[in-house]
Formats: sequence, structure tokens, C-alpha cells
Amino acid sequence: MNMVWDRIESLGRTITENLEYTLRIFLMIYLSFRAAFLDQTQSLRQTLSVLSTQIYFTGWQAMPLISILALGTGGILVIQGMTNLTLLGGTEMLGNLIVVVLVREVGPLLTALVVIARSGTAVATEVGNMRANREIEALESMGINPLSYIVFPRILGGIVSVLCLAFYFIVIAIFGGYLITQFFHDIPFSFYAENLLRAFGKEDVAIFLLKNGFSGIIIFVVSCFQGLSVQKSPHEVPQVTTQAVVKSIIYVTVFNLAVTAIVYLNQLQKLGVV
Amino acid sequence: MSELQKGTQIKSLKFEGLFFQHETQDPILNNADFEFPTNENVLIQSVQGAGKSTLLQILGGLIVPQSGKFLINDDNVVDMSFEEFLPYRLMIGYTFDYGGLINNRTIYDNLMLPLLYHKLVDVEEANRRVMEVLKYFELEKFKDERPAHIPGRVRKISCLLRPMMTHPQVLLLDDPSVGLGQETSLKFIDLINKHRAERGLKHVFISSYDEKFMSHINHITVHLDNGLLYAPQMEGNKAVSL
Repeated sequence: MNMVWDRIESLGRTITENLEYTLRIFLMIYLSFRAAFLDQTQSLRQTLSVLSTQIYFTGWQAMPLISILALGTGGILVIQGMTNLTLLGGTEMLGNLIVVVLVREVGPLLTALVVIARSGTAVATEVGNMRANREIEALESMGINPLSYIVFPRILGGIVSVLCLAFYFIVIAIFGGYLITQFFHDIPFSFYAENLLRAFGKEDVAIFLLKNGFSGIIIFVVSCFQGLSVQKSPHEVPQVTTQAVVKSIIYVTVFNLAVTAIVYLNQLQKLGVV
Repeated sequence: MSELQKGTQIKSLKFEGLFFQHETQDPILNNADFEFPTNENVLIQSVQGAGKSTLLQILGGLIVPQSGKFLINDDNVVDMSFEEFLPYRLMIGYTFDYGGLINNRTIYDNLMLPLLYHKLVDVEEANRRVMEVLKYFELEKFKDERPAHIPGRVRKISCLLRPMMTHPQVLLLDDPSVGLGQETSLKFIDLINKHRAERGLKHVFISSYDEKFMSHINHITVHLDNGLLYAPQMEGNKAVSL
């Protein structure tokens, strides 16, 4: 009996801790936006300078890796799709398959994972080291709010970078996938393009913006939060970086799953299934 | 002087029932009531680990006490937001005993940062102020280096100089002489005197064990003992535990 209670207690503690962490993340988003808008001394030039650096490192430098991933994913999907749909006699569904898998699901998730691995870790390490070297404290002592100077431009840069990278991923996956498939199947481009255009809908744009925009926010807020949680010593930096990766992956995956579930429940409701 | 600094005068610094304690440690301030001496060089003295650095951080608004009031000109700054405290903060210069320089900026950029960020002066004046101190301390050849690439003495003096760029009224110096060397220490004392005479510096608070360094500064002593503050030279200013 005691064991059962212990497990319930442990489960309760885990849920409470995660809820508290989520609330802290929301609070940090609010406070960093508030600080940025209240900070009358931080010029637009300073914000843009940090923002452009962030976009360069997060977006521009990730493009080669994203290109390889997109080509691979697009190629695999189109080849597999064509092969299996031909067997089933449903090649005209290829566009739907690409939109559902690439645009709605795999694109946002893979892009987020690349950004977490490259930039989430970099931001958590950078901010963690700043904390350990007392640079954050130094900024405060100079009257510079770290939330508006460090966190806000990184969130903004994260949103822009993830949205651009995800768009780039989808474009490369669609066109690269088509070109790779030409080695195995002879698909007329007009058929491919027509199929895709028919499958795209307004809701795809909404899902794209929602999933990728929020992934950008989640990754960079979690990374900054973890970096700022360093207390005194540099030995904490690798630990908080690992936590930043783990927590970012969990939050991004859960968020993507939640959006997908809501969208498909909505579709099923429209069809009268539920 | 910028809009943010204009009209802000720090006339008094006072604790009322102030309590602060680091987790699992004895209280550093235990309901301390104390009015700090003003227009003086004040040496904060205590046994090692009693919390002198923490006391300076509280005076600099970098640590928020758990209870009580910290009054600057009778305004309780404990309850103020970052933005509300900003005009006072720009009048308080805080130097770190270690670290504190922004590592991805050069020494020159570190010194320029507070001036340009708050637009306290125009770029020419900021450059003039920074180059003047770099020349005075013979640091010109390090100006384009990042903190990781310079000797410890240069790092330390750069850290001491940065808050002085804004011409503060209050200067909080945490172990200022450690790693400086005799010659640089004396030059730094001269700079403090110059700021006091010409640039509006009024109240200097120093935490130091360096008797030689302190012997060059006219100062009065405030003791931090068992979470309470008192200044033997000041009549009737003894902390009272509530």
C-alpha cells in the first residue's frame, strides 16, 4: 500500500514540478517582452544588432545541414510515396501525402531538432557562462535589463530563424525530393506541381506559422531560462545545457502533438465522425 | 548629463529593519537599522565571509533583501521595479571583486557600453572619457582585446573603471586593490579623488582587507558584525536588532 502511495506522491511531485516550470517559462516570455517594451534606453539598433547576429548563427549557418536533411527526407518520402501509392492505385494522393507529412509534421519537428542541437545548446552555454562570469550581474549593475538585452532578441531571432528554416526545409524537400525521385520514377513536373497545389490549404499556412513560430519561442526561452539558472560555478553550464536540450525537445514535441491533435479532431468534427 | 541622470541626487542611504540571508547560512543582515555616512569614503569591515560583498550588492540594488526597507532619499527602493530604480542605479557604480567584464566585447567596448546604451553622452564624449582613462592607466594597447586575452591586472582595472565612466555619485568597490599592483592602486585612488573633486562623486563604500591601500584613503569605518551594522566614529548610529 505504501508503495502505491509513494508512486502517487512521486507522480504528483513530477506533475507539479513540470507545471511550475511551464509557468516560469510563460512568465519569462511575458517579462522579457515587457522589459523590451518598457526599456526606453535600448535602441532599435542595439536590438537589431543582437537579432541579426542571432539570425545569422541560428538561421544562415544551419542551412547546409537543413539542406541535407530536407533532400534526404523529401527524396525518401516521394520515392516511398510514389512506389506504394502506385501499388494502391492512388498516385494522385501524392500531394496530400507530402503536405501532411512534410509541411505539417516532419518539417517543423526536424527543423526544431536541428535548431535545438545547434543553437539551443549554444544559447544555454553562452548565457550560462555569462551568469558564471558575473556578466549578467554586470549588465544589471549598469542598468541594462538582461531580459530585454539578452532574452528578448534571442526569442525574436529564434522565431524568425525557425520560420525561415522550416520554409527552406519544405521548399528543398519538395523540389529536391522530386529531382531525386526522377532517378527511380518518371513523374511529369506538371502532375507533381498540380497535385501539391491541390493539396495545400489555408490551414496548412496556419499550422506552419503556429508550429514553427512557437518552436522558436520554446527553444530560445527554455535555453535562456536554463542558462540563467546557473548559480555560481562554470561546472553547472554543461548540466543546464543538457537540461535545455531535453526540455526543449519535450516541449516542442508535446506542442507539435497538441496542435496536430487539435487540427485532426477539428477535421473529424467537420466530417461528423466525432 | 542625460535625462535619466538629470535631477537625481543621492543624499542619504538608510536601512530600516533590513534582513537578508543566503540559503542555509546565517543572516548577513539581521533586521539592521542603519543610516550610512554620506560624503565620505567608508570602509566596510568585518570578519571574512560575514557578507561585505553581499552588503555592497544590496547597496547597488543587485540583491533584493528578504524583508525591511532600503531607503535612498527616503524612497524605499526594495519595492521598485527595474525601470523605477534605473535613475538611482545610473548614479551608483558597482565594481566586482572578480569577473564582471562582458567577454564578447573588447575592453574599449566594455567601457563604452553603459554610456552608449543609456545615451548618457554623445559618442564623441563617450570616446573622450574612455580614451582619457585608458591613456591615464596606459591601457591603450589592450583596448581592442577581449577580457580573456589580457593580463589580470588590466582586467581588474578595466572592471574598476567601467562604472566610473558614467560619473556616479555612489561608488561601491569590492576588494578594489586585489591584483592591481602598487602603482595602479595609487593611480586609481587619484582618480577617485579627481571624481570626488570634479565629477560629482560623493559617497564611496569600500570592502577591503588591504591596509596599505586603505592607508592612502581618508576613510571612516563601518562594522558588519553578526548581521548588524555600526560606525563607532558616528555618535548614536548603532544598529538595533528588532
